[in-house]
Amino acid sequence: MIYLTDVWYRVAKNQILSGVNFHVGSGEFACIVGPSGAGKSTVLKLIHMQIFPTRGKLVVADYDVKEIRLSEIPYFRRKVGVVFQDFKLLEDRDVFENVAFALWATGVRRKLIKRRVFQVLAEVGLSHKRYAMIPELSGGEQQRVAIARALANEPFVLLADEPTGNLDAEASEDILKLLQRINRKGMAILMATHKEDIFGQMPVKVIRIREGKIVP
Amino acid sequence: MSINLIYSFREGMLGLKRARLATTIAISTVAITLTLLGIFIVLTVNVQRVIGLLNERLNVEIFIDNSLDPLSIKLLQNNVSSIEGVEDVTYISKEEALERFRGEFGEDPLAILGENPLPASLLVKIKNEYRNPEKIVTVVESIKVLKGVDEVIYHGRLFRLIHQYSKVILAIDIGLFFIVLLSVILLVSNTLRLTILSQQKNIQIMQLVGATINFVRRPYVVQGVFQGFIGGVISMGIVWVIVQLIRFRFPHLLVVPLHVLIMPLLIGVLISYLGSLMALKRFLNA
Repeated sequence: MIYLTDVWYRVAKNQILSGVNFHVGSGEFACIVGPSGAGKSTVLKLIHMQIFPTRGKLVVADYDVKEIRLSEIPYFRRKVGVVFQDFKLLEDRDVFENVAFALWATGVRRKLIKRRVFQVLAEVGLSHKRYAMIPELSGGEQQRVAIARALANEPFVLLADEPTGNLDAEASEDILKLLQRINRKGMAILMATHKEDIFGQMPVKVIRIREGKIVP
Repeated sequence: MSINLIYSFREGMLGLKRARLATTIAISTVAITLTLLGIFIVLTVNVQRVIGLLNERLNVEIFIDNSLDPLSIKLLQNNVSSIEGVEDVTYISKEEALERFRGEFGEDPLAILGENPLPASLLVKIKNEYRNPEKIVTVVESIKVLKGVDEVIYHGRLFRLIHQYSKVILAIDIGLFFIVLLSVILLVSNTLRLTILSQQKNIQIMQLVGATINFVRRPYVVQGVFQGFIGGVISMGIVWVIVQLIRFRFPHLLVVPLHVLIMPLLIGVLISYLGSLMALKRFLNA
């Protein structure tokens, strides 16, 4: 599903990634673990095609980074759900509109949008807050909205960049359990975090990264 | 209409509602700048109209030799008509000239002198393209050599002055128009840019969840065009009121055709459309 083969990334004179190799299979829950500045977010940005590798091969499902056209990227992103540490929600809209937005963008019909939004909000346990404005929600709830939005288009993989970074221990545990539940339904998840111990006994494939290199 | 177009329109309108203050500022800025542009256009059109009227009133007058019989006068009139640059020739008899003199000066030369001293004349209307100091001389020279012409009066100096000043005024007008237009473009596009800048985070999120560039762009373009349109309509109203006030005091001073009144509105909508696209291009590329 996600293949990185000898991926390098450089900005000006700074070598951010050096020969990164790993793959994440369908339905797998993988986690990139490493300290701040190790290159975790860069890897996710590369996979989400926000940036492009300096060299190396990166394939996500059928999309090869070297072959994809810029006009195809929005369509690719609809199939790769993404959540961020700072949630990146539209704060002037309510929960429903935030999730519906990802569907509007794909031209889904209004009735189907409503049905799908209710479905994903139920999945993340936020049905009762569907008309709440974003600033009215706790951090954990905001992250659930972000996850619901990422799931709206039924992606084949969910990328999560430090999804628990801004949350307290209890909310973090809830989010991890939610991600695990989503993964059990068959969706691949690739999560970046600097805390390896947060997974406990969860069956997660760990990919360790230090100074832009994959380490054992 | 596709669902995305409905969405774009709805989102554009909702965006204006959400950012009421920014929308009010943007519309006010557009309205004020377009009002200035509108007033400038009205003034320009009317200055050019007055110059045109002055120019049109300058004709060539031919005094006819007193000894010419009616047939020769008719022949002379035909000969003048056939000269290149002449649009129309009107014969004014000695009697008509006397009537005009009485009308204009309120005195009767016949009573004073015992005879009519005024000669018969031909009033020559010159074609527009010949109404310049160089070309009119060629027409006058062609008239002077004709048999039966006593004297030709053509206000050459006045022609030169009007021609010279109309050129200067036109050049100043064009220069000022571009300065005003440039100010309008900068002010309007910058205002729209600031409105869009405040939405930068939303634009980024839209792109991250897979919105196409067109999808992101459309609501903001709808907003920009709407602001330009409303600002334009307000400016049109203000200009119209100003024109009516001036007309109330000086009824024949200004002539404002509808297209002159609408021009700032069209310019406003066009600038808003292009300004929104340009501002978005920068953010979407980033």
